[in-house]
Amino acid sequence: MKPPAVARLLLIAMAGEHQAEFVAGDLHEEFLLLCAARGRQAGSRWYRSQVLRSVAMLLALRFRSGEALHLMAAAILAVAMPLLLLDRLWRFVYSNIPLKDGLQRAPEFRIVNLVCVCACAAVCGSLAHTVHRAVGVAVACAVAATFALWLGSSITPILYAGAVILAAPVSSLITFAWRKSR
Amino acid sequence: MKWLKRIAILLAVLIFVPLIVLLAMGHRANAGRGDAAIEINTSPEHLWTWIDDGDKLKQWVSWLVEVKYPDPQKTHGAGAKRVLVMRDENNGGMLMSIAGTCSEYAPPTRMTIHLSDTEGMFDGDETYQLVDLGSGRTRMEIHGRFHYSQWFANLMEPLITPQAEKKMAMDVAHLKTLVESQAAVR
Repeated sequence: MKPPAVARLLLIAMAGEHQAEFVAGDLHEEFLLLCAARGRQAGSRWYRSQVLRSVAMLLALRFRSGEALHLMAAAILAVAMPLLLLDRLWRFVYSNIPLKDGLQRAPEFRIVNLVCVCACAAVCGSLAHTVHRAVGVAVACAVAATFALWLGSSITPILYAGAVILAAPVSSLITFAWRKSR
Repeated sequence: MKWLKRIAILLAVLIFVPLIVLLAMGHRANAGRGDAAIEINTSPEHLWTWIDDGDKLKQWVSWLVEVKYPDPQKTHGAGAKRVLVMRDENNGGMLMSIAGTCSEYAPPTRMTIHLSDTEGMFDGDETYQLVDLGSGRTRMEIHGRFHYSQWFANLMEPLITPQAEKKMAMDVAHLKTLVESQAAVR
């Protein structure tokens, strides 16, 4: 019997490479026992609540070990920096319009941003060697993209922000999966 | 190693292909040229005041904060100078001054203003042409042609000009709304 997929993914993403295996193993054992005693629904509920309760602690452990910092630094360099550089470039373009313009950006510029984020996140994903690392990279890419959007100067429509934040991890995971399959 | 090579190729493509495209596009015949046109339900004489009067100009040209006349004795006509103070939101909301000199003045049909950034980033001409369509309708055309002095701005010209054109189109649409709503009130 498998535990809830989203909760398991969250656990893998938040826990450090060394902790994930043990924590997931322990939780899985307890989950199986609970499912046998009180049914699958109760087991899944318990699993989800345990994952949610452990997220902060696991993340703190991961930061202390330096792994999360390493991932975040890589994601900031690979995803947030290009996005911020593009934001600076679009600001330059709009600032050079003879009779000036506001902070709205043309759709084509947003598409360029999105393509760039996908390409950079894909590069990050292709460098991950394990599933655990790939999930970590994907989460770091999403966080870095959010950070870059927050720091950017332009007006960001919700739809575009959602697309960027989603495209970064998806692109990184797809490249990882494609590379693994070859 | 193979993957690193692929990544390097991808990054090179992402940087160099756009650069080459921009360089090639910068040499097109209508580089730096932007046009906008609109038909407005008003007479050319009435519309002329909207392009000639600084206070009215402020109402429809977005981000225009102030129009100054360096020579109060000569505010209209060929040779008249005006300074457009624009708020540049993309530069932290700084106020930028653009010096304008009227080089062609033929009311109520045609006016050309030579515009140049006081920081020397660009210069060019903007021509306003009003065509009487009869029955109280006027076609307003704006033709702008600008040259960017700084090398990077010049490289980015193929991106700047279409955005400048879009901004121009939005401004004239705003002008149409203003003029026609005022006419309706009257």
